[in-house]
Amino acid sequence: MNVAESTGAAFLGLAETVGGMGVLFGRILTRLFALPPRLDYPELTRNLHKMAVKSLPIVVVTALFTGAIMVIQAAPLVKRVGAEGLLGWGAGFGTLREVAPLLTALMISGRVGANNTAELGTMVVTEQLDALRALAIDPIAFLIVPRFLAIIVTLFVMTLYADALALLGAAYTGEGLLQVDSRTFYNGLTGGQLYFSDVADGLVKSVVFGLVISLASCHFGLATKGGAPGVGRAVNATVVASAAGVFVLDYLVSFLLG
Amino acid sequence: MSAEQGHSPHEMGLTPPEPPGAVHDLGAAAIDLFIGARELYSVFVRTLYYVARGKRDKGAVVQQMFLIGNKSLFFVTITMGFIGMILLYQAGLQAKRVLPDFSMLGATYLELLVRDLAASLGALMLATRVGAGIAAEIGSMVVTEQVDALRMCAADPIDFLLVPRFLASMVMTTALIVWAGVVAFAAGAATASIAFDVPLRTFCDMQLIDWGDLSTGLAKCVAYGAAIPIVSGYCGLSTFGGSEGVGWATTRAVVNSSLAIIVLNAIISTASLMLFGAK
Repeated sequence: MNVAESTGAAFLGLAETVGGMGVLFGRILTRLFALPPRLDYPELTRNLHKMAVKSLPIVVVTALFTGAIMVIQAAPLVKRVGAEGLLGWGAGFGTLREVAPLLTALMISGRVGANNTAELGTMVVTEQLDALRALAIDPIAFLIVPRFLAIIVTLFVMTLYADALALLGAAYTGEGLLQVDSRTFYNGLTGGQLYFSDVADGLVKSVVFGLVISLASCHFGLATKGGAPGVGRAVNATVVASAAGVFVLDYLVSFLLG
Repeated sequence: MSAEQGHSPHEMGLTPPEPPGAVHDLGAAAIDLFIGARELYSVFVRTLYYVARGKRDKGAVVQQMFLIGNKSLFFVTITMGFIGMILLYQAGLQAKRVLPDFSMLGATYLELLVRDLAASLGALMLATRVGAGIAAEIGSMVVTEQVDALRMCAADPIDFLLVPRFLASMVMTTALIVWAGVVAFAAGAATASIAFDVPLRTFCDMQLIDWGDLSTGLAKCVAYGAAIPIVSGYCGLSTFGGSEGVGWATTRAVVNSSLAIIVLNAIISTASLMLFGAK
């Protein structure tokens, strides 16, 4: 295959993925904005439990370590300038606006998005979706809309947790490693250099990330074909598409809000 | 429990045993973690043993290098390009609020990139792409009993499947991370000159980089390059239960390799701070 051919194939594949996700989004919206909304509420609560509550441990670990890493990386800079008072502000700015939403989205995409694709893909290859259709149950309203909502809510709530825990990790690392009192850290956070808009920026991002992760995972799950290897390929495609989508949208949202 | 009578109902087997409490759950989680860590360690040691014994098929390593390296190039370029633009944009906004002096922006960014960000963010991207790929492939082999067939032929699946991926990942992760750093720096330089009017000559400033930064960055490359195939290979080999199992294994591979990278990052960064000190 020559270069032009493979480039064209790559772009066609990209267009197919984006188009498929767009069509799926449209289908979800028609179910969501119908009166009354057509979705399965027990499935929604089940998914919220499975996605949000069960993800709490890895979000906690990731956030604590991330906060620690932020301070470790800021350490030479802080020592060089002698600006211990700015540590809280510096770590808070980076964490709230960028790092906490981004890393939470990556972990949730790995744990929840991939898992969701695996589950939907298994249902597709074992023909459970066809069985639903045969019983006149709309698979989008029954399976996809609850998952879509659950992933978005999960990511939003987990980002709130991650914001708080990353700052906690940062404060204790600053105290242990740089001998910056945690009260100084707290003053740096609340000293007037950080605004609510910094927190809101991160939260808006988390909703956008939730949108792209849920659409990618549902799209690739529904498009699975070819038995067990097919499920593996679908999961692989989901995590790759989610990561790429998260970074591209992160850039766009940062610029729009900045 | 009602123990006031001679025989408690529980003793006579009339009531089911009490539901497990929080201590039970915590203990079960701890035991699972311990067993997982021990098996992971055993996979790692066996991989090192087969690498040291050095009897392998060269074609397999080259093929894995192509699959892990060349096939990830596009993905890594796109994501790291966007990361570079975002990072510099946020750093510029932050610098603007405290002191509007952009002369050290490039030097600081380059130092952070070499010491941490290129390696860690690039490796997180590779963990999703490469880790998921390894686990899905090996997991499919496990559920279709190809791995059992290998054992029947007296070939250790770790020697046959994991060692080529391990070697290929060590080489290609390092190469891709160097490339990721280049892409992120170029994207950052472009953003700096467009959004904050920092001239390219001021931005490309290497005065802050020293041997400590370089060796920390390289140590991270090697550690991540080793961790990704070991963790995801272990997840793939412990697959059970059909197509759903393959999905689970792939999920676990992505989550565990990302966690491994974050934890290794914290360990190596702390060690480097102790070793080289804060200048």
